Amino acid sequence: MIRILDITFKDLLQLMRDFKTFMFLLLMPILFTFLFGYAFGGFGGNSDSRLPVGYLSQDNHWVTDSLHDLLSESDLISLRENVFLSPADLEQQVANGDLAAAIIVPHGYGRDVLKNRTDLRLIVIADTNSTAWTSVEAELLRITSRLDGAVRTATIIERIDSERMPFHYAFEKTLDAWNDPPIAVTETKSPAVAKVSDSGAALAHTAPGMMLQFAIAGLLTAAQIIVTERKTRTLQRLLTTSTRRIDVALGHFLAIFLLLFTQFTILIVFSQVILKVDYFRVPEATALVAVSAALCISALGLLIGFAAQSEEQAITFSLIPMFVFAGLGGAWVPLEVTGATFRAVGHVSPVAWGMDGFENIVARGLGFESVLLPSAALLGYALLFFSLAVWRLYASEEK
Amino acid sequence: MENLPAIEVLSLHKAFGENRAVQGVSFKVGQGEIFSLLGPNGAGKTTTISMLSCLLRPDDGDARIMGHSIRSDGNGVKSALGVVPQDIALYEDLTAHENLSFWGKMYGLRGSELKKRVDEVLDIIGLRERANERVGKYSGGMKRRVNIGVALLHKPKVIYMDEPTVGIDPQSRRNILDSVVALKDQGMTVLYTTHYMEEAQELSDQIGIMDHGQMIASGTHDELVKLVGGQTRIDLTVNAEPQRILGAWQSVEGVEQASVEDEKISLLVADSNQVLPHLFEAATRQAVRITSVDIREPNLEAVFLHLTGRALRD
Repeated sequence: MIRILDITFKDLLQLMRDFKTFMFLLLMPILFTFLFGYAFGGFGGNSDSRLPVGYLSQDNHWVTDSLHDLLSESDLISLRENVFLSPADLEQQVANGDLAAAIIVPHGYGRDVLKNRTDLRLIVIADTNSTAWTSVEAELLRITSRLDGAVRTATIIERIDSERMPFHYAFEKTLDAWNDPPIAVTETKSPAVAKVSDSGAALAHTAPGMMLQFAIAGLLTAAQIIVTERKTRTLQRLLTTSTRRIDVALGHFLAIFLLLFTQFTILIVFSQVILKVDYFRVPEATALVAVSAALCISALGLLIGFAAQSEEQAITFSLIPMFVFAGLGGAWVPLEVTGATFRAVGHVSPVAWGMDGFENIVARGLGFESVLLPSAALLGYALLFFSLAVWRLYASEEK
Repeated sequence: MENLPAIEVLSLHKAFGENRAVQGVSFKVGQGEIFSLLGPNGAGKTTTISMLSCLLRPDDGDARIMGHSIRSDGNGVKSALGVVPQDIALYEDLTAHENLSFWGKMYGLRGSELKKRVDEVLDIIGLRERANERVGKYSGGMKRRVNIGVALLHKPKVIYMDEPTVGIDPQSRRNILDSVVALKDQGMTVLYTTHYMEEAQELSDQIGIMDHGQMIASGTHDELVKLVGGQTRIDLTVNAEPQRILGAWQSVEGVEQASVEDEKISLLVADSNQVLPHLFEAATRQAVRITSVDIREPNLEAVFLHLTGRALRD
């Protein structure tokens, strides 16, 4: 046992001597968490999960301005306005999927609303079979109904008391009244739903994603220590002492594990404190997933170290799982947005199980039980990789 | 225990697929002796050493190191021996002190004993002043010294040195050869592999010559030289056509063989001191002037040539 710790300590000493390694292992994942978080709309102000809807007004009327204001204030749709775009351009953008729908306000729309005419209405471009259209349609109906209702109410009030309540005043008051209705429905959400809809949802995905991806990338350094050990024949020399092969494997494994677990701990604390990704909501679950993931990736690093015959091979063997496992396992793009088949295939990658575990805590708001299956899967992978690594060590040294 | 051979190798075999790397190698080394395994690259020296170090399991045969079988008592073997590999098997990003401490622990040393032995070895290899510098910054010779020092940490009875002088400067080479002799003086048994016959000749009590995985001859230097009949080779050049004097020299008493190679006349003689005056007399009679004489005493190169038909360096 003591020799295992001696080898571990020696490996860590070697790693600490390389300043660039530490830069790579700690700063790169932090940097990429920011980059991916930003790209997926994290960091509050830049986050906009509303449906993009094109808007083109051909009408110059104050009612149309009110319509525009109501649309702009919508929680569901986000207006994309560009005066240089034609209706045909908007149609193309909807067809391309760049816009969920497009609204064209025809000339005379405001005047007709005032006259309570229904023959001239908004022109809407949308794929009427899409779920996005259903949402946009409902929101449009809500807003136009509010506008019509305000016009009718103001007309009635003006008839009753035009001196004290002129039409414009009554119209604005009516519209304002919707902001503070006499009856309000309060919607409560489960913590899980609340987490998903949180503006930090993007970071709740990218923080664990980058952490897992760069843990695999860090294997390059750890594996190279083993490759160099064999290349310089220090591994062979170790085996001429009474140190057992399994002790050599465990010593290296423990060193990689401690390195990765430290990396995880720093990144989890960083994400919690700086990015407000709530890993500490269920700390025991976070710890279990972190330990399982670190064990799994450490065993993979050990396998790469014993399988690679040269530094070039170690680089290749480290980069391939980094890109394949991270990409397939949903570290870059959430598996939820992919199809069922891709999701199933993605779970061949241990990263998918790691993502499941962490996202169950920080994105889905689930409890300790939810990380048991992902953790078991990670530990299964750890056992598989470690067994293959030890087999490789025994086999290669007999050649 | 004292009469026990330090190393006793009994018909070792090892094959890698079709390649029969070691074929029935046997030899004995007495305690406190230096035994050199001499042979060209690929002769099977390193494979033999690897089996004796318990790194490779022999296909057949056995060996005993201080009485411990390499087949059944690997730990006993490993505790009795120190290995100096051909490569610099050190961690270059650790200091010499850190390297020695780590390797000492791997040999089972702990605490004050470890500290004491590390300091002693640093003195032996003459690097105490620079012990806290990283090995990667050392010269090739200094690295070689640390490489040897590691094998001495646990005071082994037997040391294997696998071509320790390959690729180093003459001064470092001299230091290593001196250190091998010093180890012998301390009572250690040294198994030394090399393809430099001068080293084997200078250091060894006994020499084993390997080729194509087989031990083709073994014994003391003198015993091996006798295999080629103890003949001395004399190469001469003359200021005339070699054939003009060749016949005369062939008939000189003591000349056993004569041939012409590259305008040089090569003679194999039993005793060069006795033959040389007669060669000069014969040349004078033929009005031929001898322009150079090169006398080569019988050596291991000649033995290898004699046994394999190839030069050792091939």
